[in-house]
Amino acid sequence: MGFDSNQAKSIFLAAVEEVAPGDWSGYLDEVCRGNAELRRRVETLLAAHQESDVLFDEPNVGLMAETAPVEPVEEPGMMIGRYKLLERIGEGGMAVVYMAEQERPIRRKVALKIIKLGMDTRQVIARFEAERQALAMMDHPGIARVFDAGATETGRPYFVMELVQGVSITEYCDQNRLSTKERLVLFTEVCHAVQHAHQKGIIHRDIKPSNVMVTMHDGVPVPKVIDFGIAKATNQRLTEKTLFTRYAHIIGTPAYMSPEQAELSDVDIDTRTDIYSLGVLLYELLTGTTPFSEEKLRKAGYTEMQRIIREQEPVKPSTRIRAATDVRRSHRHPADD
Amino acid sequence: MTDVTRILNAIQRGDAKATDELLPLVYEELRLLAAQKLAHESPGQTLQATALVHEAYLRLVGDEPQNWENRGHFFAAAAEAMRRILVDTARRKQARKRGGNRQRLSFETLDVMTRTTPEEIVMLDDALAALAREDAQAAEIVKLRLFAGLSVEQAGEAVGISRATAYRQWTYARAWLRAEIHGCQ
Repeated sequence: MGFDSNQAKSIFLAAVEEVAPGDWSGYLDEVCRGNAELRRRVETLLAAHQESDVLFDEPNVGLMAETAPVEPVEEPGMMIGRYKLLERIGEGGMAVVYMAEQERPIRRKVALKIIKLGMDTRQVIARFEAERQALAMMDHPGIARVFDAGATETGRPYFVMELVQGVSITEYCDQNRLSTKERLVLFTEVCHAVQHAHQKGIIHRDIKPSNVMVTMHDGVPVPKVIDFGIAKATNQRLTEKTLFTRYAHIIGTPAYMSPEQAELSDVDIDTRTDIYSLGVLLYELLTGTTPFSEEKLRKAGYTEMQRIIREQEPVKPSTRIRAATDVRRSHRHPADD
Repeated sequence: MTDVTRILNAIQRGDAKATDELLPLVYEELRLLAAQKLAHESPGQTLQATALVHEAYLRLVGDEPQNWENRGHFFAAAAEAMRRILVDTARRKQARKRGGNRQRLSFETLDVMTRTTPEEIVMLDDALAALAREDAQAAEIVKLRLFAGLSVEQAGEAVGISRATAYRQWTYARAWLRAEIHGCQ
C-alpha cells in the first residue's frame, strides 16, 4: 500500500509539533492505521529528526570553510632552487615576480615567477615540461626565453625567465609619444616574434600589453614578448580568474580574450587565438583603448561577455580617433596629418 | 542604480531573462570575495557563508534600500552560487581522488577546506536535488540556510512564507535529508 509524501510530511510535522516523543508510537498507530509503509516512512523521519549533527544543527558551522594555510612568503636573499631571490619586481593576482640571480652554469640575472596558491603544481609543471623542448628551440630577439621551471619547497610552481627590464608596449608608446608609423614598426616586430613562435608550434594564448615589454638596447626600443609557455602551463587563460579584473594584475583579461577562449574550453585554440589578441593590441596601440571596454565586459556577466566578444562589432579605429580626446590625440605625430 | 538593482527590479516585474543575468554576477562576486579572503586571511580564521553573502550583497547592491522580494531574489541567487562553488570543488576533489583528471577547466580550484568532507558535500547536494524534486520549497529553505547562511526566518522571508511555515519546512527538510543521506551510506 503506497503513500503520498505529503501525507508523511503532515503526519511527521503533527507528531513533532503536538505529540510527545514517548507517545509517537501510539499516535502513529492511530494515524497510519493499516498502512505499514506510511508508518515506516514517518518513523524514519522522526528518527532522523531526533538525531543531531553539526551540518544541520549549526548550518553555518557545518559548511564553514577554514582558510588554507598561509603561504610562507619568499623573501629577497632566499634560495629557490639554485636561484637567489634579489628583489620583488612585480605581483599579479596569480603570481609574484622576483629578480633573481643564477650562479650555475652561468652567472646572470633572471626573472623568477612564483605562482600563488590554488594550482595543481604537478599538472602545471607537467604541462610546462611538455612544451619545454619546443620553448628551448625558440630563439628570437623578440621573445623572452623561459629557462626553467620547478617547484618551491612549499610545492608551488615557479618559472625562470629571461629578465626583461622595460615597460609595457602601450606604456612605452604613450610615454614616448610615438607616432602611428613608429607604433606600427614596433608592432610589426611583435608580429615577427609571434610568428617565430608559431612556426615552432608554440601558441602564447595570453597576448596583451603587459606581456609585450619594450626594453632599450643600445638606445633602440626592442619589444619582447614574455610568458610564452606559461599561460598554457598554468592554463589561467581558461578559468574564472580571467574575470577577476577588479583586483588588478590578473593573467588574462576579457578585453584580450578571443571568441574561442571566451568559450572556456580547450577546443579550437590555435595560432589564430594569438592573431586575435594581436589584433586587439594593434587596436589599442592605434586608438588608446581596447575594442570592447574592459569595464563593460566585466560588468556584463558571463554569458553576456561571451556574446559581446563573439557577436558585437567593435567601433572602427578611425571612428575612435575622430572622437578621441586631446589626451589620446597627443600621440599623433604632425607627420601623420 | 547598480546593475544588480536593475536586474532585481526586472525580476520583480516578471522579466524571466533577468534571472539568468543575476546568477553569474552574484557568482562572480562571491568567488572573488572567497578567493580574496582565502589568499589574505591568516590561518584559523573562518570563511563564513553568511559574511560572504552579505558582503557580496553590499558590494553589488550597495546602500540602496531594497524591498524584501528583491533581497529574497538576491539571496536565492547567492545560495545557488555558493552551493555551486562548494559542490563543484567537492566533486572535483572526489574525481581527483578517484584518479580522474578533468582537463576541462570550468572553474579554478578554490581550495576550500570545509568541516564536512567533499564526499559529504556531494551526498548533501545529491540529497538536496532529490528533495527539490519532491518538495521544492523545503529544498529552497535548506539551500538558503546551508549555503547563504540565512536564519530560518530570513529564509522564510526570502521565499515569501510565514515564519511558522518556514520552521515547519526546515524541520521537515532536515529530517528528510538526514534520512536520505543515511539511506545512501
